[in-house]
Amino acid sequence: MTESLLKPDSNAKLAAGIEELVDAEAGNIDRRIFWDESIYNLELERIFARCWIFVAHDTQLPNVGDFLTTTIGEDAVIVSRGEDGKIHTFLNSCTHRGNRVCFAEAGNSRRFTCNFHGWSYGLDGSLKNVSRPQSYSGKSNLDKSKLGLHKARVESYKGMHFACFDPEAPSLEEYLGEFRWYLDVILDNDEGGIEFIDGNIKSRLKCNWKFPAENFVGDSYHAPWTHSSALIAMFGKQPTMRPDRSYHANANGHGWEFGLDFIGNAATLNSPPIIDYLREQEAKFAERLGKVRSRMVGALSSANVFPNLSFLAGHNTFRTWNPKGPRSTELHTWVFLNANAPEELKEEYRRGVMLTFSPAGVFEMDDGENFENCTAVNVGVVTRQQQLHFGMGLDSKIEHEELRGNVYQSQINEANQRAFYQRWADLMGAETWADVPVR
Amino acid sequence: MKTLEQTTRRDHCSVSAELLLEIQQFLYREARLLDNEQYDEWLELLTDDIHYWVPGVQARYRKDEAKFSSERMAYFDDGLEYLKIRVARAKQPSAWAEDPPTRHFHLIGNIEVLPTEDSNEWTVHSVILNHRHRTEDDEMELKARRVDTIRRNSEGLLQLARRKVILQETVLQAKNINTFL
Ligand code: FES
Ligand SMILES: [Fe+2]
Repeated sequence: MTESLLKPDSNAKLAAGIEELVDAEAGNIDRRIFWDESIYNLELERIFARCWIFVAHDTQLPNVGDFLTTTIGEDAVIVSRGEDGKIHTFLNSCTHRGNRVCFAEAGNSRRFTCNFHGWSYGLDGSLKNVSRPQSYSGKSNLDKSKLGLHKARVESYKGMHFACFDPEAPSLEEYLGEFRWYLDVILDNDEGGIEFIDGNIKSRLKCNWKFPAENFVGDSYHAPWTHSSALIAMFGKQPTMRPDRSYHANANGHGWEFGLDFIGNAATLNSPPIIDYLREQEAKFAERLGKVRSRMVGALSSANVFPNLSFLAGHNTFRTWNPKGPRSTELHTWVFLNANAPEELKEEYRRGVMLTFSPAGVFEMDDGENFENCTAVNVGVVTRQQQLHFGMGLDSKIEHEELRGNVYQSQINEANQRAFYQRWADLMGAETWADVPVR
Repeated sequence: MKTLEQTTRRDHCSVSAELLLEIQQFLYREARLLDNEQYDEWLELLTDDIHYWVPGVQARYRKDEAKFSSERMAYFDDGLEYLKIRVARAKQPSAWAEDPPTRHFHLIGNIEVLPTEDSNEWTVHSVILNHRHRTEDDEMELKARRVDTIRRNSEGLLQLARRKVILQETVLQAKNINTFL
């Protein structure tokens, strides 16, 4: 009975059909994957309930009792720093009748107490107390040790905490694979690592979550066109992207498109002190990361950790695309900087990101419009049976002396998008993690 | 003997009806300039030292009381230079997302004018509803409470010197904010 509820027959049929919807090699993608309820529901099970999902940076929860609330797929979770000093992630849903137990989006607390009948949970999600416990005397199967909030695994990479609901999933380290080497460009260009600036801007887009995620994984092609108005307003011209000095790189569906121009992204923050800081540090970055990766620190680029954690080096913003149905996405945006950077740079980054990559930012403003329209048109039954074209740079794969993972020449490319959809199809078609190949 | 009416006016709103009307008209005119995308004229209503702030609002427990803070992320935390950059982008012919243009209105209500220690400056509370419509059926509403500082400059004209906009939403129910509030 439970078995059939969890894995409806249609899953198998649907999963078998995924191959027909995504031809990642040739770059043909069926538009139904951006629209259909049934595909979306399978995504929640096979992608979001199965992958490592970013939940918090260490510096967001510095003290015991600090917490925030967010979602993994559509599952509401609490992320908190326990008495053991560790980060815990568990469902924000009482084991008694299911009521939500935490209503604040951030704060500090010793307990999460349910408003309905007063059950209260500790910072690790365990059930600590029930109200009127004497009412359970006599014959009772109330076993507090079994009635804690359902927990996710939590593992971290250099301060970035990820949670995963699948006990069978590989470790975070394996999941990230070669991409860890790239993440170090941001997380480890300085011995102090990074810190997140307080606050988290959230907004809703009427789009499928994959459009923005694939945009960040590899779509530098759109930048000079979509963002022409902002580029011209700020610089009076388009940036130069050199095919011979720029790349797509990916591993396990995670991807980064980048130039080696060092400051292209950072320059749009309109802040001379930020540029000065980067130039002063360049030699130090090179010492830690080697010459090639050091040139990525503030470069024209964008990236995505599969499935939904995107970031921009240089702009210093992380964001997640949280699914809220096949046609709705909640964007969470953060700003970060090197923890050892001079204090006054905090304001420069905070204000610079708001000017460029927040919902009112001069760049981001034009993105939402595109993502929403790419989704909405699929209301047409004929429209959504048409394929989308992802065929740029089919023969651009190269061997590179230093760059790891799968590497492609030129950042104007669609190789990373194809890798993103390949990973998506691998997971959607696989019954268990054992069937998911390393890419 | 004062009538009850006069007492109320003196205690809660000790500015003249004339000034109240002048400030109200100033805010209505500002709203119309924004509706019509007359951004250069809008910029002229701002003092050189304007601070325009739309903080991110968080749902926090009462004991925290920190729904927003100046150190946290915001939608806008701008001086005149940043506001001019935003206007310059909106005016580009290649601002594709603004063509056809958004149809806006800014509805202003609950205007309350309070004197300050500076006889040329007033604190002005108001509520704003910005309604947006794009293409056939793309409809968005932004709702907020505002606290302004309005100043009379040396030429005798009113200008906006500070604005704090507290949105109703903790999660912005829209893809962007392509106007000023
Ligand atoms: S639902 Fe939480 S205590 Fe009853
Ligand atoms: Fe973009």
